[in-house]
Amino acid sequence: MGGDSKIRVLIAKPGLDGHERGAHVVAYGLRDEGFEVIYTGLRQSPEQIVSAAVQEDVDVVGLSILSGAHLSLTKKVMDGLKAKGANDILVTVGGIIPEEDKKNLEKMGVGGVFTSGTKIKDIAAFIRTKLGESS
Amino acid sequence: MRNSKKEIKEALTKWEDEVVSPRVKKFNLDKSPTTFYPPLSSDSSHFMEKVGFPGQFPYTAGNNPFEFWRAYANFAAKVGYRSEWGGTGRSGKYGGFGTPADYRDYLLRMQSMGRIGGPNIAFDLVTQCGYDSDSSFAEGEVGRVGVAVDSLRDFAVIYEAFTGPLDIDKVPSNFTINAPAAVLIAMYVCLAKKRGIPLEKLTGTPQNDILKEFIARGTYIYPPAQSLRLFRDTCVFCCKHMPEFNINSIGGYHMREAGATRVQDLAFSMANGIAYIEAGIEGGLEVDEFAPAFTFNAFGGSMEIYHEIAFQRAARRMWAHILKERFNAKDPKSMQIRQPITAHIGCSSTTLQRPLNNLARAVVGGMAAGMSGGIPGAFPPFDEPLGLGHSQEATQLQQDASRIMVFEAKVTDVCDPWAGSYFMESLTDGIEKDALAELKKIEKMGGAVAAIENGYMQRAVAKSAYERQKKIENQEELVVGVNCFTGENEIDVSINRCVEATYDPDLMKTAEERQKANLARLKRERNGTAVGSSLKNLKVQAENQDKNLMPAICECVENDATLQEICDVLREVFGEAKPMKI
Repeated sequence: MGGDSKIRVLIAKPGLDGHERGAHVVAYGLRDEGFEVIYTGLRQSPEQIVSAAVQEDVDVVGLSILSGAHLSLTKKVMDGLKAKGANDILVTVGGIIPEEDKKNLEKMGVGGVFTSGTKIKDIAAFIRTKLGESS
Repeated sequence: MRNSKKEIKEALTKWEDEVVSPRVKKFNLDKSPTTFYPPLSSDSSHFMEKVGFPGQFPYTAGNNPFEFWRAYANFAAKVGYRSEWGGTGRSGKYGGFGTPADYRDYLLRMQSMGRIGGPNIAFDLVTQCGYDSDSSFAEGEVGRVGVAVDSLRDFAVIYEAFTGPLDIDKVPSNFTINAPAAVLIAMYVCLAKKRGIPLEKLTGTPQNDILKEFIARGTYIYPPAQSLRLFRDTCVFCCKHMPEFNINSIGGYHMREAGATRVQDLAFSMANGIAYIEAGIEGGLEVDEFAPAFTFNAFGGSMEIYHEIAFQRAARRMWAHILKERFNAKDPKSMQIRQPITAHIGCSSTTLQRPLNNLARAVVGGMAAGMSGGIPGAFPPFDEPLGLGHSQEATQLQQDASRIMVFEAKVTDVCDPWAGSYFMESLTDGIEKDALAELKKIEKMGGAVAAIENGYMQRAVAKSAYERQKKIENQEELVVGVNCFTGENEIDVSINRCVEATYDPDLMKTAEERQKANLARLKRERNGTAVGSSLKNLKVQAENQDKNLMPAICECVENDATLQEICDVLREVFGEAKPMKI
């Protein structure tokens, strides 16, 4: 990642869940934090998300899931990124994620899980730190 | 002694200068943190016109002097009747999971425990988005947030729990379904025919509010205009054949949860409602034939108790004026907002942090409801934001809170207790004025459909959500336990939750596989030729905008065409709505 180029983030809504508030808020917020943010819109398949992430050459994929299908959908995205050799992309998950599932998501390689009440500033700082560590 | 307006105005200025200002200065503030409303902003000489008596135009003070539930509330309390469990003639608890057989067995179990209300069905996202359980879109979602329904056969399996004294001519059905509402209504019609029950006897409510799906919730299929055509067809069909069945349940609540401000909620709900009324008229109906069968699903939803009360009053008055003046309605029922509850907090008002605090929040919503003509329901249960389903404890606390407001605090013993309050009337006028201005803006664009097609409403709601988030992050809005009072001396109050095993997790795990097998069996056993020809007929009908599609959809359903097959034909003709980017 170039020092002066903006961090590129793909905010994605996998599956059929139509609750967009979190995705919208985080997308606007990260833009204001100086990130380049692309939002997929609703109802994207994990395959679509993976290819968008690769095509757009993003640094971060933020998945927003509130339907309870977070484990299976995230797994598919993680596997897809790995298959494309894009597992250096930082993946975060936001939504209604019960405590016990957080650990399972982290085991899959998810970098961070953000639930209700999280500050966007904290998400931005988290991303900067994580990307700083890996570059 | 009578005070003239001039006198009060002078006194107000004097009071502001001599009492308020010194105090503001004393505490080193920019302005007073409170507001006082003297009798200037509201004019009691217009009381009849602006407020009126409960049950009389413009219904600001309520649709009725008291609602049905209030008439028997004390009796019900003494005999221990639990209305939330439903009963004959009432719908039961909202729910649904797994395969149709899983949900049927659950309903039978509930009935054996005395919970005998009609089906109030949550469908899984696959069904809500017009796909079948074997679609690639369905993976991981089958039977998850509701029950999976692919065909009439599935629908009929659920209703095996409703026979005899609970047959569909005796209990109402609620369907939380929007984009494929026409197909689900057709299933209900075909089930009635199979059972030899005349359609006039059917009662119930489909959500059938597709426009708000574009603004919030997101389970749309076709573009807005084509979606509205399907609404028109269901509206005309229900009006002609199912006079006791409600046509829709218009919701502003979902938009508010998605981030809409109070004014956006009210204006967009009214704009959507107008679009639905216009659709019925375009279908050849007289307004009073069908408007009384419109219902509303609890619009509103915030912690600001005064504003939420004013909101309900303003909403009732606006809808009444729109129906009477714009659409020349004569029937009072056409002019009333019929909704099961009035004010409430939103699920988005609850916090994951220190979750028992949500009970206090829900009580505030219940008070707002009780003071605006509704049942003071302390919704949602405190464990809502944990995402684990509502526990028995949280559910009972919610219900007890509601009972305490009714029976101990006697909140609902007065109808529109705020009527005539300088403050509340001025607040009501203000919200109405702002919402009318916003509505005018939408109408200039060409109405609700145009304002969705050009993305105005969606973007407005997304922006409002972000504005709210910023206010929370910079502490302009304070949320206890989230952005204030979070220091090390605060404790987490431990909570008990022993979740009733409502939905068997093992069944949930295998639902997708079993439902796919059901669907495969259906496809083997049905008459493929009949399916093909009825789908072909649907396509021909769909291509002609003037045709009502309900008979053709009923024919497809009767021949065991699947939900997705029907929706796919319409996708081909109507096209698909594009997801909105920001």
